[in-house]
Amino acid sequence: MTTPPDPDPGRSLRLGRRIVLAVPFLWLLALFLTPFLIVARMSLSDTARALPPYAPHWEGFGRLGEFLAALDLENYALLASDTLYLAAYLSSVRLAAISTILALVVAFPLAYAMARAPRRWQPALLVAVILPFWTSFLIRIYAWIGILRPEGFLDVVVQALGLADAPLGLLNTDAAVVLGMVYSYLPFMVLPIYAALERIDRSLLEAAADLGSPPWKSFWTVTVPLAAPGIVAGCLLVFIPAIGEFVIPDLLGGPDTLMIGKVLWTEFFSNRDWPLSSAVAIVLLAVLLLPLLVFQRALRRGEGAR
Amino acid sequence: MVRKFVAGAALAASLVLPAGHALAQQPELKIFNWSDYVDPAVLEEFTKETGVKVVYDTFDQMETVDTKLSAGKTGYDLIVVTASFLPRHIPLKLYAEVDRSKVPNLQHMWPEITSRLAKYDPGNRFAVNYMWGTTGIGYNVAKVKQRLGDAPVDSWSIVFDPAKLSKLADCGVHVLDATEEMFPAALRYLGLDPDSKKEADLTKASQLLQKIRPHIRKFHSSEYINALANGDICLAVGYSGDILQARKRAKEANAGVDIAYAIPKEGALMWFDSLVIPADAGNKDAALKFIDFVNRPEIAAKNSNFIQYASGNLAAQKHLDAAVLNDPGIYPKPDVIARLYTITPYDDRTQRTVNRMWTRVKTGR
Amino acid sequence: MNQRTARKAARRSVGSVRRISAPWAEPDAKALVEFRSVTKSYGDVTAVDGLSLSIYPGEFFALLGPSGCGKTTLMRMLAGFEEPTGGTILLDGVEITGTPPHRRPTNMMFQSYALFPHMSVWDNIAFGLKQEGMARAAIASRVEEMLALVRLEGLARRRPDQLSGGQRQRVALARSLAKRPKVLLLDEPLGALDRKLREATQFELMDLQADLGLTFLMVTHDQDEAMIMADRIAVMDHGRIVQVAPAEEVYEQPANRYVAEFVGDVTIAEGVVTSVRGHLVHIHAPHFGAIEIDEEEGRANVGAPALVALRPEKIQIGHDEPAQPLNKVRGEIWDIAYLGDFTMMQVKVGGDDGPLVKAAIANRTRRMERPFAWDDMVWLWWDVEAGVLIDP
Repeated sequence: MTTPPDPDPGRSLRLGRRIVLAVPFLWLLALFLTPFLIVARMSLSDTARALPPYAPHWEGFGRLGEFLAALDLENYALLASDTLYLAAYLSSVRLAAISTILALVVAFPLAYAMARAPRRWQPALLVAVILPFWTSFLIRIYAWIGILRPEGFLDVVVQALGLADAPLGLLNTDAAVVLGMVYSYLPFMVLPIYAALERIDRSLLEAAADLGSPPWKSFWTVTVPLAAPGIVAGCLLVFIPAIGEFVIPDLLGGPDTLMIGKVLWTEFFSNRDWPLSSAVAIVLLAVLLLPLLVFQRALRRGEGAR
Repeated sequence: MVRKFVAGAALAASLVLPAGHALAQQPELKIFNWSDYVDPAVLEEFTKETGVKVVYDTFDQMETVDTKLSAGKTGYDLIVVTASFLPRHIPLKLYAEVDRSKVPNLQHMWPEITSRLAKYDPGNRFAVNYMWGTTGIGYNVAKVKQRLGDAPVDSWSIVFDPAKLSKLADCGVHVLDATEEMFPAALRYLGLDPDSKKEADLTKASQLLQKIRPHIRKFHSSEYINALANGDICLAVGYSGDILQARKRAKEANAGVDIAYAIPKEGALMWFDSLVIPADAGNKDAALKFIDFVNRPEIAAKNSNFIQYASGNLAAQKHLDAAVLNDPGIYPKPDVIARLYTITPYDDRTQRTVNRMWTRVKTGR
Repeated sequence: MNQRTARKAARRSVGSVRRISAPWAEPDAKALVEFRSVTKSYGDVTAVDGLSLSIYPGEFFALLGPSGCGKTTLMRMLAGFEEPTGGTILLDGVEITGTPPHRRPTNMMFQSYALFPHMSVWDNIAFGLKQEGMARAAIASRVEEMLALVRLEGLARRRPDQLSGGQRQRVALARSLAKRPKVLLLDEPLGALDRKLREATQFELMDLQADLGLTFLMVTHDQDEAMIMADRIAVMDHGRIVQVAPAEEVYEQPANRYVAEFVGDVTIAEGVVTSVRGHLVHIHAPHFGAIEIDEEEGRANVGAPALVALRPEKIQIGHDEPAQPLNKVRGEIWDIAYLGDFTMMQVKVGGDDGPLVKAAIANRTRRMERPFAWDDMVWLWWDVEAGVLIDP
């Protein structure tokens, strides 16, 4: 044997692939990690009458020691000690979870009907789902104020139908916030579920029927498991923005509506407490990471299904 | 490689620079103001007279301005800032001093207002008053009468007496989401110094606010304008200008909604919207020219007539419409003015305490 | 392909020992599946047109036809995925029209296999058994049995996407067999396999069917597949059955021109009956001259138009004129296709406007003494047993 064989002929190929993969990773690093680090560093600072309104400020490597010494976990301690924040997080998770479940309940039949509709109708149905996005989000939320306000559209309809004689008083309640969030994020739920359902081979349902499974049972044993990636993606796409939502609770919520997005806004803008609001944001990120990890695991488990 | 890059950069620069020059050629004045807070004709006249092009942006909440200023750069030459922010901003050297020699029309300012503004801007060095007003009570005349009878709305008790406020809860009460407005009013109602920084006093105010909270539909600093005008609520603690605007809209809508504004007899907080020049303004001269221009008595009057706010310019009063000048909601009578109060800002520690108290009031926890 | 069909049909006809009984020929045999005047229309389009058909227990039955002939629709109506527009379907004497698919004792092996991608091989096979509410232990033993049957014992935990095409096909088969259906429906069962695998699988399927004693109904567009595997073939055209018969009959006694041309290669001579003497029929066909065939008595009448079907492998070819007086024609070699085991010739007979006749020569030796070449003038001749009269 004169020339030793190349121990790994695929190596250069893999290197090339690795470089290709590195590009989006670098983007992620630049666009996500950098702002994250800035926020994280801010959360370790203290408020100060300064520009920008926190201390310490970066003054070069020469004073690195002083800089690091001035950072502390005080803001996190405050978050932990004041039950308001815990209450706000829990309330946000609760409202976001309720909204997500309701959105799923509304979106699944919608997506199902779309996926089962004649193929030539499907583009039109898709457009109909996306259509509301062509109007400003803010305007649509204001429209809900018009619908929910006392003597508003909803009251007029309900009273005309004789279902109630007093105003429902939905505006400025948690119910209105949930309604607003379900409405606003519904397309994010519908689209991935539709995409998953649409991909399901119809012969699978025929096979299930052929093997003796009644339609309702096939729905749970075949349709739902195969739509699971879409359902999970939809839930995340609704849950994650909902948990940090600010505008909807601000406009549709009442004084009882406690949401972390609003707390963050207040800390940042009204109280000018950038470090504390940064800490709120970092903790929020940690709260959000949990469902993401669950999704990752679900994906890995479902990998074999494709 | 390097040379190529340099050549490319030069090319890029040559493409960009002429455009930049053209922009620099026509003087520009970038103004950042509350929305609906100027007569557009005034801006046009200013441009016609001086040749300075006005770039006019608006905001809806002072927090927006505050955040921009706190971040260190706004990009504007002239900003309208609420006076309560001044004491915090001035030490940070956010503003350029107003060169009074270049603004001769400052001689027309209203001493009463200027001296009160000096509480926020000692020596009136940085801020020139634009408009001023009060924080009082706006209400739906018919709905309040229906629930509380004929007694005039002239006291903070309608807000701070739970017995009275509870009768209005069903038709809707909004209050400002602002500590610096609500705490002084509560302190005043309790007979305490509205400018008190004592924690004991503030706690009492907070407890009072807790008591009325169940009857408040919303804590918000701007939504009440629409809500009042549409007849969705019957009472709001708000800024005089906003409430008068709601009154105007309700009248225009002609839907039978009659809104009134009351300054409580216990006294009310005065607010001042003032013109300031950011320290990093690119065109300070134009900003000074503009300050001088809007303080020309006829121009100041024109502006006030249009937006229906009280001007800080005394000489403007003889050019004002009688409807504006004689509206006690806009220009209170001298005895009422005497009962108006101003406050100084909280120090950082107190601010945090007050913020906590306020959050608890709002969330009921 | 055509010659291969011919060859295999021949083998089948020689060695058709597998099928001893022929229930379709017995007058009192009870059909397992019965289509009675079944019609299926989609708007203006009629997919199945008043079709009647009986399939008997233990049969391996094939529905053969080109795409769009209605064979798949017919099978799907039996499975319950489509409801007939008219007529009734009986299974084991019971009308099943209107019964939803999940209550029918049929199982289907789908063309795409339709394996559940989110389930393991084991769960796929167990799926139907679970629907029956079978006991856990019974399910396990049945699944093991099925896995052994299709020789996939080691792959029970795999998911379908971790299997090869052939393995998937066998999982699909095991799944559809697990419930021991009264009829197993096979929709183009071998269509997705490559040729070698297909041939191996054909025989496996046949053995399986024989061993289990089940009734198979297969849909295919592939005549080879139908002829090799099926006991009887129904050739379909435009929603109707043109002929139902065992493979050799379909090949050697095609009912009409459509069947003759669809199944295997054929040359059809059109002519007029000139004389009938007992079972010997003489036909005069332009370009072919006088053709003599051995037919059932009473099949032909003098003066009637007649179609004679001639299979390529039954035609001989040579440079010299044969001694026989009839059943011979001279022509020019138009085309030669060498196919390894045999060579297919296309010979133009009766001048330039005459028909092309297909003749196959078996390549019995590695080289021919006098090879044929393009444009050679040659003689074609055949036996009196070679031609068959067919309906138009």
